[in-house]
Amino acid sequence: MADDASSSSGFTGNVVDNSINQDELIMKQQREIEKEISESIPLVGDLEQLASLEKEYNEDPIYLLKVKDLSSKYKYVRRTRPDGNCFFRAFSYAYLEHLLTDKQEYDKFYEIAKNSKDILVALGFSQFTVEDFYETFMEVVQRVGEQAGGSPDTLEAVRTDLHDKFNKQGYSDYIVVYLRLITSGQLQTEQDFYQNFIEGPRTVTDFCRQEVEPMYKESDHIHIIALSNALKVGVRVKYMDRGEGSQVIAHDFPEGSSPLVHLLYRPGHYDILYA
Amino acid sequence: MAEISEKYNTKCPGVKRLMREALELAEATEEYCARPLEDNLFEWHFTVQGPKGTDFEGGIYHGRILLPKEYPMHPPHIILLTPNGRFEVNKKICLSISGHHPETWQPSWSIRTALLALIAFMPTPAEGTIGSLDYTPAERKSLAKKSVNWSCPHCGEIKTLLSSTAAKPITEEEKTVLNQIAFKGEDEQTPKPQPQPEEAPQEAEPQVLESSEPITGFLDQLTEILVALLVGAICIFVYRRWNAYYAATEAEL
Repeated sequence: MADDASSSSGFTGNVVDNSINQDELIMKQQREIEKEISESIPLVGDLEQLASLEKEYNEDPIYLLKVKDLSSKYKYVRRTRPDGNCFFRAFSYAYLEHLLTDKQEYDKFYEIAKNSKDILVALGFSQFTVEDFYETFMEVVQRVGEQAGGSPDTLEAVRTDLHDKFNKQGYSDYIVVYLRLITSGQLQTEQDFYQNFIEGPRTVTDFCRQEVEPMYKESDHIHIIALSNALKVGVRVKYMDRGEGSQVIAHDFPEGSSPLVHLLYRPGHYDILYA
Repeated sequence: MAEISEKYNTKCPGVKRLMREALELAEATEEYCARPLEDNLFEWHFTVQGPKGTDFEGGIYHGRILLPKEYPMHPPHIILLTPNGRFEVNKKICLSISGHHPETWQPSWSIRTALLALIAFMPTPAEGTIGSLDYTPAERKSLAKKSVNWSCPHCGEIKTLLSSTAAKPITEEEKTVLNQIAFKGEDEQTPKPQPQPEEAPQEAEPQVLESSEPITGFLDQLTEILVALLVGAICIFVYRRWNAYYAATEAEL
């Protein structure tokens, strides 16, 4: 289920020449695997009962215990395609879906989103391309806003529309790109703070250029912290791994916030959780 | 452009993006110009001026830009057509951040970024990279001189394509990006993935992205078959010689 090559990101800085061919072979193979994955898993799937996770872990007592713990708090899960963009895709889907029923939060978010472009341009991002991503992003946001807080019937149509857009590669990837830019912008605005999270000699700008802005690069804590801070949205991530105990540990970003988006993390991948 | 907007789904973000880029690059500049083919938004032709103060000064170089259907999520490929002594002609080269995976292309880069990076990268040493040529300064200068008379079957005489207007100045951000971008050819040692019948994405996009591929693919195959035959023949020859030698020694005993 590993998303992409980002696990190797720690040492890509000192690739020697003769390993580049090897690297490229691996990349090529990875691309083929990615292609296979992309043909079998939708970008964002339908709502599933949480119990559907149990089937994956039939023979795995540790995970089964954890699924059980999870099911005491959550009823449904929505899977996303493991293509390295899953955090951004899961986050934006879950958040926009939440905004449908929370007009006040929508208005707050709309202001932040509207101002985000100027922040990016001021940071030196090319106005021309930022605008391109911004416009498509805002088109989807505004579609949510049309009916935010409306009656369940009218919401259903927007929900379907949202789901369609998130499953159209063009739209869906544009949303991911824009969130990646916002994340990068936040990291660069608060460089002094975020530099502490970056291992090795890389600067924040290098990190953004190599690990945040390119598509298909997997997200780490630092991405989540930056995005949740930039948009002022609380995110709770439930970490389900082979670790000790039967409890699934939760992390809230930013710390102490009240989460509006709930994500399930399993090594290398994020899905959406619903209470 | 009118024709193009009828042909493509302008709601598709990739198409919208390319049309914007076409508009942005519509006016030729002193340093570069680029525009999509009349009938295909996903193939462009470009012309760049050889960077001043280098062996390429005075040269004008023309080429193709192939845009993947996932553009701008995936990088464009560039093919130079005018002999220049730095890049092989008729060979796909792609851009990446030097020393990093080719997948570090960023969707916020554009065709302009690719062209500026190409110009900036021309004077860098070839260092045996795939698709690179290490011609001497004299050879490069002579090719630069000849290049102005080069003519493209699509676009005509390339010296008429650039204008005297200076291009939009390079921003600070672009400058740091340009210093990091490297170009290299695709490794042909690895087998090319078989062209799969792709399901039509969103709306139909013409399939003219890699028109030269079937020919090279066929040539590659032919070479492989010839090599296999040759190796087979050598094996049989060695085997027979060895047999004969063995038989002879046996007879001697």
